[in-house]
Amino acid sequence: MSDVISKNDLLRLVDQWLAEGKRVLGPVKTGGGVILYAPLAASGQLVLDGFVHPANSIKEAVFPRSETIYTYTFNGQEIELSDVDPDCTQCIVIGARPCDAAALPVLDHLFNWDYQDKFYNARRAATTVVTLACTEHDDDCFCTSVGLGPASEQGSDAMLITAPDNRYEIRALTDKGQALFAGKTSAAEIKVPISDGPAKKFDTVDIETFLKNNYESDAWRDITMRCLGCGACAYNCPTCHCFDIVDEGDASGGRRVKNWDSCQFGQFTVHASGHNPRAVQAQRQRQRIQHKFRIYPEKFGAILCTGCGTCTRNCPVGLGVLNTLEAIAVIARASIEVK
Amino acid sequence: MIDQLRQTCRKLLEEGAVNVVIGYGQDKPSMMPHPVFITKPEETERLVWNDLCFANLAAYVTRKEIKALGKPAVIVKGCDERALVVLEQESQFTRDGIYVIGMACDGVGNPRAAKCASCAVRTPRYADVTIGEAKPATPAADGEFAQLDEFMKKTPVERLAYWKSEFSRCVKCYACREVCPMCYCTRQGGRCLVDKNRPTAIDTSATLKGNLAWHIARAFHQAGRCVGCDECTRACPAGINLRLLNQSLAKAAGRAFAYKAGMDPETPPVIGSYSLEDKENFIQ
Amino acid sequence: MSDATGFEPKIVAFVCNWCTYLGADLAGTNRLEYPPNVRIVRLPCTGRIDFNLIIKGFEMGADAVIVSGCHPGDCHYTAGNYHARRRWTLFRELLETLGFEMDRIHFAWISAAEGKKFQQFITEITEKTRALGPYTAYREICEAAR
Repeated sequence: MSDVISKNDLLRLVDQWLAEGKRVLGPVKTGGGVILYAPLAASGQLVLDGFVHPANSIKEAVFPRSETIYTYTFNGQEIELSDVDPDCTQCIVIGARPCDAAALPVLDHLFNWDYQDKFYNARRAATTVVTLACTEHDDDCFCTSVGLGPASEQGSDAMLITAPDNRYEIRALTDKGQALFAGKTSAAEIKVPISDGPAKKFDTVDIETFLKNNYESDAWRDITMRCLGCGACAYNCPTCHCFDIVDEGDASGGRRVKNWDSCQFGQFTVHASGHNPRAVQAQRQRQRIQHKFRIYPEKFGAILCTGCGTCTRNCPVGLGVLNTLEAIAVIARASIEVK
Repeated sequence: MIDQLRQTCRKLLEEGAVNVVIGYGQDKPSMMPHPVFITKPEETERLVWNDLCFANLAAYVTRKEIKALGKPAVIVKGCDERALVVLEQESQFTRDGIYVIGMACDGVGNPRAAKCASCAVRTPRYADVTIGEAKPATPAADGEFAQLDEFMKKTPVERLAYWKSEFSRCVKCYACREVCPMCYCTRQGGRCLVDKNRPTAIDTSATLKGNLAWHIARAFHQAGRCVGCDECTRACPAGINLRLLNQSLAKAAGRAFAYKAGMDPETPPVIGSYSLEDKENFIQ
Repeated sequence: MSDATGFEPKIVAFVCNWCTYLGADLAGTNRLEYPPNVRIVRLPCTGRIDFNLIIKGFEMGADAVIVSGCHPGDCHYTAGNYHARRRWTLFRELLETLGFEMDRIHFAWISAAEGKKFQQFITEITEKTRALGPYTAYREICEAAR
């Protein structure tokens, strides 16, 4: 026996959450025709099928693009600092792809490593993630290559699986998920097939070995020559988490903000002296791949990538992690160590 | 056309006339055509040419990683060539420092991109070699600003609401800046206005304030320079209608100063020059 | 001279050092009264006035922004104001497309001899802006939270 909910009942539930003052995030078709995870104003905006993956990720629920961490005012010679309370508004992410949800436990390591980030943790505790198992994939998906799949449970509080007759099976995976749907479902005997997902495209062990042994390889330059150094990949990536801290204000005071940053920007590693250890794009791209597939796994035991393919779909020049890794895998298989 | 292109490029590399060919490749059938940098004659087989060759390769001519490879041959469509004209006017390269391969083009995208309907440069005009049939020029482009004219019928309050909604999606990824051939300030090792601090000119935060200030700055820095390749609009992950914004300045330059960016290398750039006869009706 | 609500418009004027600033000075020495709402920012030349400054003015809370300099042909640096004229012609189009309230942005040529014109111009703009009210649309945009 499975727990089942009709699509209409699900949408009614979304409206109820909104009426209760909760934030609800889900795939929405936006002004540019692009589907993005965005805050819903009404359940009618929610788009649950007809596309493979939104153009962004759900990380904004726990790691917003811009966040005030404290404010300051100048009072003559004095400076007054005011703490900003982390946002604890209840947030429900509905219709998240499993690859996006899987990123959250991966990010937990970083935001609780040498510093317990209270902003991240408050939002994380207040967020319930309801995933929708994938029924289709495209050529840019590679979740199966990083140990995940179309119905991965990692990071999810409850999973919806598309069922016949406009219904969804609901599998509550955590207490939060249980609490969210308690009493809202009916029992039914249904067997819904789970899709296989994309074929495996590379072996992460091969990748890690290549990364260890080919730090200075010319291959980095050749593979990444077309990279323009924008942040379209990093900002929409579910696992990328680099941030910049800046002060914004005027003569009377201001606020200190934490903003997304991308290791692909030319200025990312500029020192106060003017020296830049990653002055060319190849070095920056190398770092991105090293971080995701060697450094983060060595440090935290988790790959900093969930194979969602968002980077590749967004890249204006068709690069992205998958294409870079496939190019690397070709070289790794040929066992060339180019100097 | 593709055979002629590959042969031309192969010859250029074999003879050492250029060190690198900047063109389009498609390494996997499932991929869209993407920029490639061919340095070996036999690799010219990687080059492709079809109506999905969107990228404006003129953007690479100013990048230091590309310059380090030596003299380039750049494959350009008419719109891309206009960008080269502007870059040359701005002394970003010397004409004999690059080899231009022009590709006759009857449009990109399925369905055709908005910019193609009013394209006046289907055959590049200043290339060292032009490949493909000369397509007839599109009839008078009175439809060029149709979408903008329609938009300007809205009230100022409606217009502001539209842009607030558009810019609320901006995450400041700067894909628009990096695909643009004319945004080369960062590429010379310098700084873009948005990266300047002490004092900060534009908030870097992806707030409405920071986003509006950024897009105003970028659009205005492109005034009279933007050639309407629309790569910024295509590159934006959030689908922001940058084309409309850039068009408003292109239309203004045309109407007020009879200027169109990248059409004639001899005409002085509109913002870099002035005339004693310039007219206006808003200065008291 | 405040109205019933007591709203006092904040007006920023970016002016060139050689003409409009001296014109303002002349208004002062002649004891020509004009409303104190205007904050004058002096730059060497209108050619130096970045469009960014106009935006900054609004970001910092101005209800109206004025840009003023030497008459065409009289620029202390010969051609700065010609460049500025071109720049503003295009910039205004951009602002209109974006939905800015164009009656909050004013341009003028005021020479060093035109103290009276400066007085009249500032008075006129102040009253116009008072009638328009505060530029709440821009304030909302600048609220810290997205």
